[in-house]
Amino acid sequence: MQVRVRCKMSGKITWLIILLVGLHLLLLLAGFVAPYDPAAQNRELPYAPPTRLHLWDSSRFHLRPFVYPWSPVDDGYREDRSQAYPVHAFVRGDSYRFLGLFESNLHLFGVENPGKCLLLGADAFGRDEFSRVLYGGQISVAAGIVATAVTLFVGSVIGVVAGYYGGWIDETLMGTTELFLSLPWLYFLLGVRAFLPLHVSAVRTFFLLTCVIGLIGWARPARLVRGVVLSSRTRNYVSAARGFGGADFYLLRRHIAPETFGVLLTQAAMLVPRYIAAEVALSFFGLGVNEPTASWGNMLSALQQYSVLISYGWLLAPAAALFVTSVIYYLLADALHSRLESR
Amino acid sequence: MNVIARLSLLVCLLAGVCVAGASSAENPAPENPGKNEELQRVADTSGRYGGHLTVGQRAEPKTLNPVIATDAVSREVIGRLNADLIEINRATQQTEPALAKSWKTSADGRIFTLQLRRGIRFSDGHAFDADDVIFSFAVYMDENIDSPQRDLLIIDGKPMTVAKIGPYTVRFTLPRPYAAAERIFDGLAMLPRHLLEKPYREGKFAQAWSLNAQPSEIAGLGPFRLKQYVPGQRIVAERNPYYWKVDRDNHRLPYLDEMVFLFVGTENAQVLRFEAGETDIISRLSSENFNLLAHEGTRVSSQLADLGPSLEYNFVVFNQNDLTGKKLDAIARKQVWFRDLKFRQAVNAAIDRDGIVRLVYGTRGTPLWGNVGPGNKLWINQAISHPQRSLETARQLLKSAGFSWKTNGELVDGSGETVDFTIVTSSSNAQRMKMATLLQDDLSHLGMQVHVVPLEFRALIDRVFQSFDYDAAIMGLGGGDADPNPEMNVWMSSGTSHLWNLGEKQPATDWEREIDQLMQRQMVELDYNQRKRTYDRVQQIISENLPFIFLATPNTLAGADGRVGNFHPAVLDPNTLWNADELYIRGGLENAGTR
Amino acid sequence: MSYLVRRLVRGILLLAGVSVLCFLFTEMAPGSFFDEMRVNPQISPETIAGLRAQHGLDQPLVVRYGRWVKSALHADLGYSIAYNTPVAPLLWSRAKNTLLLTLTAMVLTWGISLPLGLWAAAKRGGVLDRAITVISSLLIAVPEIVIALALLATAARWRLTPVGGMVSSNFEELSGWEQFRDVVAHLTLPVVILVLCESAVIVRHVRASVLEVLGASYVQTARGLGISRGRLLFRHVLPVAANPAISLFGFSLAGLISGSMLVEVICGWPGLGPLVLDATFSRDLYVVIGGIMFSALFMLGGNMVADIMLMVSDPRIRTGAADAG
Repeated sequence: MQVRVRCKMSGKITWLIILLVGLHLLLLLAGFVAPYDPAAQNRELPYAPPTRLHLWDSSRFHLRPFVYPWSPVDDGYREDRSQAYPVHAFVRGDSYRFLGLFESNLHLFGVENPGKCLLLGADAFGRDEFSRVLYGGQISVAAGIVATAVTLFVGSVIGVVAGYYGGWIDETLMGTTELFLSLPWLYFLLGVRAFLPLHVSAVRTFFLLTCVIGLIGWARPARLVRGVVLSSRTRNYVSAARGFGGADFYLLRRHIAPETFGVLLTQAAMLVPRYIAAEVALSFFGLGVNEPTASWGNMLSALQQYSVLISYGWLLAPAAALFVTSVIYYLLADALHSRLESR
Repeated sequence: MNVIARLSLLVCLLAGVCVAGASSAENPAPENPGKNEELQRVADTSGRYGGHLTVGQRAEPKTLNPVIATDAVSREVIGRLNADLIEINRATQQTEPALAKSWKTSADGRIFTLQLRRGIRFSDGHAFDADDVIFSFAVYMDENIDSPQRDLLIIDGKPMTVAKIGPYTVRFTLPRPYAAAERIFDGLAMLPRHLLEKPYREGKFAQAWSLNAQPSEIAGLGPFRLKQYVPGQRIVAERNPYYWKVDRDNHRLPYLDEMVFLFVGTENAQVLRFEAGETDIISRLSSENFNLLAHEGTRVSSQLADLGPSLEYNFVVFNQNDLTGKKLDAIARKQVWFRDLKFRQAVNAAIDRDGIVRLVYGTRGTPLWGNVGPGNKLWINQAISHPQRSLETARQLLKSAGFSWKTNGELVDGSGETVDFTIVTSSSNAQRMKMATLLQDDLSHLGMQVHVVPLEFRALIDRVFQSFDYDAAIMGLGGGDADPNPEMNVWMSSGTSHLWNLGEKQPATDWEREIDQLMQRQMVELDYNQRKRTYDRVQQIISENLPFIFLATPNTLAGADGRVGNFHPAVLDPNTLWNADELYIRGGLENAGTR
Repeated sequence: MSYLVRRLVRGILLLAGVSVLCFLFTEMAPGSFFDEMRVNPQISPETIAGLRAQHGLDQPLVVRYGRWVKSALHADLGYSIAYNTPVAPLLWSRAKNTLLLTLTAMVLTWGISLPLGLWAAAKRGGVLDRAITVISSLLIAVPEIVIALALLATAARWRLTPVGGMVSSNFEELSGWEQFRDVVAHLTLPVVILVLCESAVIVRHVRASVLEVLGASYVQTARGLGISRGRLLFRHVLPVAANPAISLFGFSLAGLISGSMLVEVICGWPGLGPLVLDATFSRDLYVVIGGIMFSALFMLGGNMVADIMLMVSDPRIRTGAADAG
């Protein structure tokens, strides 16, 4: 039975990894896949709904899908059926830097100007939501992963040390986490913003973002890890290994650390989406990704307005993207966890 | 099960404890007008008695003390509990008699002799006379209390004085003539000497009339009086049976039995609760919420009002402050651009104001080219030019100022520096944030690298007023009163709100010097037409020299339940409650408002 | 016993440390309470300076800290600049409402998450397990503020529950039973939001740790020996799997005061959240510091309970502590 489970697990893990790589590839190739520049505004199309793809028109079936432009009416938009724009593949459009290496203007699909193919509609400035979700994912997913890595690294080191050595080391470290958790972080953020120069470049913004998020969040994982280590350090095999002359570091690495993986994986799967969403709060202080750069966090902050939330549902696209990403990561974490278990 | 029963009991107990229990006494009926009372008849008002009105508030009021209250929410409540000597009718924007039934001005405009109404009583029945007026002004002028209203009574550095001439006559002497001086009196509530003199003499005035005060400790001349305060939830005010206004049929106002101020919170919550029928009046709506209520509102009946352009003006200000001594060299270098009029004119020409009105205000707004917009009919200078957007003109201006473009389109100045600056704005103001994004895009067409940084409100204020550590900011001012005098500190070079160059010892430019003289002149000019001409010239100079680059103004949007009668929202604050004494509930439902 | 004493001493040190750091942090933030008046062209800087002096804001940090400590010892916890009243009664009147909300939410959260987590782990891969994966992912991925707003909008549109406040306007006129129902009705929405957001995390952790234990060899042995499923779960698996859950429970306790801030603000629940948030942004320093001290107290208590529970539930920790300590 163990063997069969293991095979199923490998198959599942493979599939999940393929999905994940595919997702990340999609984000990396955002410039190519997205039809438009994420900062390009279309001021005549604020809050335009998603463009509908048609195959049938009044006369016949078309193999190549086409779209009608939106024309504004009283309180919304209506399709202007008088002009049809077919969707082409591999079109030339706005230029972008491919993987940051060289300039290109080849896009996966697009329609001729002045037609617009807004697959996921437009935001308040008429910017293509689909393009923004793709570009935004680059920053958000990367920031989420790096921030989570920072948090879990710091948290697990502190938790392991506290749990393993116990005694006054434990008390000091746990006291520090309590101190950390109590502090007025809003004021700290205000202070950080005041201290930094007003304009930080995109790279530095990213770095700053991840550091701030990552460093504020280590206290909880530390406590969780410490709890686990406290109980596992007195396990028989650990005592036995120690009896055999195992040094602290060896014990930690070989026997105790694996105990913590369960907690860490669960936390990781949870923290990544949480941290991506935390950018919503950070941008209130000016510490987030600034306009016009897209990130899932700053796109979601538009949804804090009730009127936008219920009238323009397509703006929930980044939340949907975040949902899909976090499901995949969670499933992978879960599969890895059980893989580690069944060893 | 036992656990649940115990928990329920706990909930009950806590719930009971949490509500500040108050007796559900009957609301007082209005006293019949007596023979010796000189009441004000509000000529064209009629309505029916009964009902209560629920008003949603953005935040919690902090105090009921009219002298020390600084936040708008507290003032909203305080304004319904108190009255002034002279009031500004928000609909006509003109002053009218209130507690003072008439007044005479001396020929030089410095001496005001006010006749008070006789036979008026406070909400606890105690009589009102000139002693209360003298006491009130003594408190407002007291330097130890530091009331924000004290500054209103100081003209040119010297305070007004008040003297009692008779039991119902008071005389105010201004240190110099002051245009529209009667407008000062609106917002200065008259305090009951019999209740507040003791705390004042004991030096505990600031603690008087806090939210913890008992209703019996508070008395005012407003249409309502305090009935109950539930911490964190609401303030309930009941009718003042001695209110000094009657309607056209000689019925004593107010019509409403009760007014409930509900602490609703964010704008989202405001809209939701209005839709759900839990509040009856909503003001300061954004255009998105207004459209939402208009098109998809689930409320049975409502009256929504779009009152046209408001008095608020939004603008971009470039940092032209003197930065010597501060370590802000990067900004100092950029100030070479900011101080160049052609640069500002180019920015002005590149702005898509139409886009702002459509995208930020959903067409419920008006573009601005000056500090006085169409909402201020009395003072707007219609002759100011409204140049249309033109990127060509902007480029010409930049070229003539020595700027040029690199091959990749970036703008560089005469010495080869890329034009790169940051615009800061308040992150809690969604409209200004959107304007910043639009502006960023507009200026990118000129090759300027503009970055938008949202800042928390007080952090923004600190930078703009204190540390001067910013390049450009989008801010908004205005909305207090239509009269030019409240804006003195913005346009006078020595003024404390002279944002683009604070703390100037001398006017830095000739046109600022000219504005100084003109503003001083209009301040003492008593004739409206003369004043208008002077102020027109000020607006002209401002729109030519662009210390602020004006963007747009939102429309004033408000709404009320369909059953609310005499709902006449106005452009001046408080838009919807200024005539709270005249509001009534239609339709024969005595306890309308309860759900 | 000595353990408790040590914890108490540590707690007091912590509170002192928190108070000092709070003061330092609030110094870091630019801006002050009276900045809003600074924007108003009609108020002079002299008035603002006078007001600052009145409230002691122009004193050096050390002096202000000293005054605050003195006032804390008198159970005042400083003075609110906005309300012109002592801070402690202000906090306490709201803290009761917050506790009502968070205690209810905590009971429901744990009451739902533990069984769900256990069940999902026991029937791994089943329908419930998959449903939990999807739903918890949704709840974690979507920012809490969006969830709260969406639920608020739904409740408002379909008139499911009252959308704000703790009691209706006519509360005083209702009978005892009706008053209870009124509070429960108002409690529903914020509790639902809190329960949804917190359960998602706890269910995952419980499921993960139960799965870990279920895979252990001694459990397999016990199964082989014929011990029933139920007994297995509760007697053998749960105490061991409880470890991270207990730490999480400690977090729940710790967050009784501070964890519901967002929900309170969005739903208009009259608790500490809106008060402290408003005070933070208006720089009403002593209200903020008082609120933080209050929640620090709860956090100390919560962590202490969690640590005690850890020791109780896992004998290895006790002996380990004896060994190492």
